[in-house]
Amino acid sequence: MAEFSVIGERLPRVDAREKVTGEAKYAADYSLPNMLWCKLLRSPYPHARILSIDTSKAERLPGVKAAVTAKDFGGWTWGWMPATRDEPPLAVDKVRYMAEAVAGVAAIDEDTAEEACQLIRVDYEELPGIFEPEEAMRESAPKVHDYVKNNISVEYHWNFGDVEKAFAESYIVREDRFRTSRATHGYLEPPAILAYYDPTGYITVWASKQSPYFHYRHLAACFKLPLSKVRVIQPFIGGGFGGTKNDSLAGDFCAVLLSKISGKPVKYVESMEEELVTSRRRHSMIVYSKMGAKKDGTLTAIHHQVVADGGGYTAVGPLSLYLAGFATTLPYRLPNFKYDAYRVFTNNPIGAAMRGHGITHTRFAAEIQMGMIAEELGIDPVEVRMRNAIDNPKPGTIYETINKVTLKTCGLKEAIQKVTEDPIWRDRNKTPRKEGSIFWGVGLSGTSYLGGARQMGHQSCAAIIRVCEDGTVNLITGATDCGQGSDTVLCMIAAEELGIKLEDVNIKRVDTAYTPVDPGSYGSRVTILAGQATQKAAREAKRQLLEAAAKTWQVKPEDVEIRERKVFITSDPERSMPFDKLARIACYSGTGAVILGTGYSSYGLEPLDLTNGIGNGGTSYSFTAQSARVGVDMETGKITVTDFTIASDCGRLLSPIQAEGQIEGASVQGMGQTIYEDFIVDRGKTLNPTLLDYKMPHSTDIPNIKLIDIVTNDPDGPFGAKETSEGSIVSTPPAVVSAIHDATGIWFKELPITPEKVVKALKEKL
Amino acid sequence: MKQIRLMVNGESHELSVPPWRTLLEVIREDLGLTGTKEGCSLGECGACTVIMDGRAVNSCLVLAAEADNKQITTIEGLAGSRGKLHPIQQAFVEHGGLQCGFCTPGMIMSAKALLDKTPTPTKEEIRRGIAGNLCRCTGYTKIIESIKAAAGNTEEK
Amino acid sequence: MRGAFGKRITPQGVSEVITFYRRLPKFDYLAPKTIGEALSLLSQYKGKAKVIAGGTDVIPKLRRRETKTPDYIIDLKGIPDWDYIEYNEDSGLNLGALATIHDVETSPIIRGKFSVLSQAAESMASPQVRNRGTIAGNICNAVPSSDTAPALLTLEAKLKLVSQRGERTVNIEDFFTGPNKTVLTDEELLQEIQVPNLPPYSNGIYLKLSPRRSMDLAIVGIAVVVISDDGVCKDIRIGLGAVAPTPIRAKRAEDIIRGQKFSDTVIERAAEIAASESHPIDDHRASAEYRKEMVKTLTRRAINQAISSF
Repeated sequence: MAEFSVIGERLPRVDAREKVTGEAKYAADYSLPNMLWCKLLRSPYPHARILSIDTSKAERLPGVKAAVTAKDFGGWTWGWMPATRDEPPLAVDKVRYMAEAVAGVAAIDEDTAEEACQLIRVDYEELPGIFEPEEAMRESAPKVHDYVKNNISVEYHWNFGDVEKAFAESYIVREDRFRTSRATHGYLEPPAILAYYDPTGYITVWASKQSPYFHYRHLAACFKLPLSKVRVIQPFIGGGFGGTKNDSLAGDFCAVLLSKISGKPVKYVESMEEELVTSRRRHSMIVYSKMGAKKDGTLTAIHHQVVADGGGYTAVGPLSLYLAGFATTLPYRLPNFKYDAYRVFTNNPIGAAMRGHGITHTRFAAEIQMGMIAEELGIDPVEVRMRNAIDNPKPGTIYETINKVTLKTCGLKEAIQKVTEDPIWRDRNKTPRKEGSIFWGVGLSGTSYLGGARQMGHQSCAAIIRVCEDGTVNLITGATDCGQGSDTVLCMIAAEELGIKLEDVNIKRVDTAYTPVDPGSYGSRVTILAGQATQKAAREAKRQLLEAAAKTWQVKPEDVEIRERKVFITSDPERSMPFDKLARIACYSGTGAVILGTGYSSYGLEPLDLTNGIGNGGTSYSFTAQSARVGVDMETGKITVTDFTIASDCGRLLSPIQAEGQIEGASVQGMGQTIYEDFIVDRGKTLNPTLLDYKMPHSTDIPNIKLIDIVTNDPDGPFGAKETSEGSIVSTPPAVVSAIHDATGIWFKELPITPEKVVKALKEKL
Repeated sequence: MKQIRLMVNGESHELSVPPWRTLLEVIREDLGLTGTKEGCSLGECGACTVIMDGRAVNSCLVLAAEADNKQITTIEGLAGSRGKLHPIQQAFVEHGGLQCGFCTPGMIMSAKALLDKTPTPTKEEIRRGIAGNLCRCTGYTKIIESIKAAAGNTEEK
Repeated sequence: MRGAFGKRITPQGVSEVITFYRRLPKFDYLAPKTIGEALSLLSQYKGKAKVIAGGTDVIPKLRRRETKTPDYIIDLKGIPDWDYIEYNEDSGLNLGALATIHDVETSPIIRGKFSVLSQAAESMASPQVRNRGTIAGNICNAVPSSDTAPALLTLEAKLKLVSQRGERTVNIEDFFTGPNKTVLTDEELLQEIQVPNLPPYSNGIYLKLSPRRSMDLAIVGIAVVVISDDGVCKDIRIGLGAVAPTPIRAKRAEDIIRGQKFSDTVIERAAEIAASESHPIDDHRASAEYRKEMVKTLTRRAINQAISSF
């Protein structure tokens, strides 16, 4: 008999039908009668003082119902931490990045609202802008914010062991400078909101929020309402990836305020270009990496100095910088580690979170540098990784890094082994290395990513299981499915725990009026934490059902089992009844009972230590080994990625179809950021704000992707699960870069690696 | 205002629309068929793909007036009577060809246009057939598998 | 610099868009039923009208407010029988103005006899855009990186322009005058594209360089048509796209190779000269230096590929 009846089965996602028929509604699909449309006016300058704003002409345009500027928000600002509440809904005294919003209007239709924006008069005094983070740190640089010194938004200095001593004693020490690209999430659904501030003083919004509870707190604070009077209803979300949809934006606040003023619902939908120019995107980071090793390639020390381009406001910056540092002691053993990191304000668009948050940048640098060291030492890439990789701790033991990151499972060695046994790596020298002007190369990477992330403040999530009288189940939780498939996984967990089938469990969208508060969907936390909460809730509901069964059969509850909709006595399976019958018995006993189970997550409640970098940033860590095969046209520099083999240790894959899709998607997203994607920002202005020129991979660009599943069954996740897929966005860039090196002999340290950069580097090599 | 007649999913609609309205806007806002999505509004992402007179087009680039008297199929027109899923829809469900679902209606319409013309496409033909539809979630792999399955073509080509 | 009315006026006089538009601007829509009617409207609303065929260039430009909003959009698609692709042995290939990129891509006669053009069509945009966009529209839009333009240059196409005043035929070489500029007046329509027959033993190749495999504009686009006579180059046409203010012929390169026996040396020389005839710019897609170098590489490859089938 299989260990599980639902977990691990290849089941379609629970919302598939709605999505393939077009029934699924996203934020922009909602409308209300008498609805107005909101449009924002934005700054043409990346850095300018606002001298005056005159909305009177706009307000006189027929069809315009209201206009708002910063003064209407009374000086309120928000931020990720109390100390970083530096962002207003609309720019107050100055604008700090190009196209920052300065005013909003509401009109009877979107055409009128757009026209009205052109009638708003803003007098600006352009200020000198600063666009390079290293320059921005100088004393003489223009100041983006006055509340910090030298434009330094966030600064960390961590020190573990003695890196200087270790470098002095190393056989080899390398120092290299790396830079990651200006990349963004690239979801297809531009953010949208439909807001209604009703006359009783109650806010209802349908908004594309990956983490609705952030938004609900922001709205309550901004509009000075109790949380119980803010209702964020979450529609289906067209992709999140950790970006703007995890935060609030000018359009949200303006839509709500305009609704308050006009008394009507207000809708705001961003255009894709608006999103590409103004959204929060991944930081671009400069990583000065210094790495030491012994003669046999064993790592001795890493010193990372990071300068991250924070853009105009702080947003979630402190977390980004923390994540870029704390896990550098994974996935290889590292006895000495120093981290000096700066996030710097500039007049560029805001740097924030994206899938593979933080770790992507430094793991890319460290992985490539280790490859360079291995090359210099004449050590095979597999050997150097196996020599340094953390071993899978024996059951019951814990591995602890020098900065007290702990883990209970680590499948890296098995992953590396499996990837290198696969033909793409194994046979790499059997296929021609050169075909005309195409040089082929195969690269390898070994990386890690955290799951169960935590932030500051609220960490815990909850779930409610309601068993209906007919044995079907409603699962109620605040955890968000932004497209990653968590709803399906949570329903599978519930079904497995209760002993029923996936189709018996129903889940609806998050609605802050009904669903329990949830920290949000980020850092691969939903399966682990909401999954644990769901497990506990299901067990509690099951306990109540088993009590009813025990009473009926005059046995003890622990004598009864439920599996595949059948309730039976373990020692005497002939005594059984269908699950729906038990449900009826339980619900109708006496004067009737409501079978309700609640559960809370309890993993990972320790707070983050931002100042010293000590301790865990997540509950557990996935490990990924990846090979990549590329062809480089040595004359044009054009790169074609033909194959990925990805071995992922995700603990256990609970929903294989969804997990595979996630790993594949993340690797293609990672490939995009390695060879195609970059915002070209010239003195604050984005020169490529369209999907034509911000080049995400299309179907004709993808490699063949082969997946290998490494099972380590982690004790800190429901059914042994760890995070899935952020690992493969981290593992892909170094795998591709090392493949390009294998083909061309060049180690590229700046992303993206465009054809032109390849041609230039090949010339310089000669 | 322009008086137009749109034949959408087999039903005829007489509408009065401003000349500058696009077919996408009219489908979504006047007819309430929100299954077709607005992504980039510039014809670069394919989220708004519908089939018009047998060809896949970006409805954000078609004026509603240009669609006068044309046969239009949107995602809502694919499922059969009593909600039986079209084979392409069924294949996407079974093979995991979707995650967030936002690109899915446009993707399925492009797939339908492809399979209507090329019933048993190779993998390369499928890739080219959906090259105008961006997907950020799936990395396309399971989309291609879904379309191949829908074509009933399971051999590796 | 102070900006009034929320707009920023750059030295070029263009105001920056700082409201991001989702809606199109307001215009009226007219759908003539004959070419004559269309021309009459163009004259009547001279300067205030814009024609639309596929709409794949016009609509995005209007939406982004990159072009002055016309009072009237004149939809040409109501004019019947204008999407023809006709061929005869004497006059060659004639394309009606409404022939779509998809029609050109898939036409057996073009794929068979004028394949440089179908290759160019195939490399453009997406299936959806190719289903709507017309080759005439692509030519009239006249972006420097047009794919069909270099192909038509190598085919020495002629363009029949028509207005209420009459008609004239222009060589495609003389049609483009600058980025997004042609000799077409605001009262004229491109009625027909005429491609003369190619002699036997001719072969055409279109190579497009771009980072991805689909959807990109060309960084460099090279079209080559060679006519061979037993290993000797009887005639050659080299068209360059995306490396000059307009698509151009690399005539000095052609002169070097015309009449010569095909050899690596002479092909390399021609490729070098083609590169020197290009004058690309630096932009956010690529640098001028890289583009120039790629003209050489792709010209060499295109010629080699074109002759490889002989």
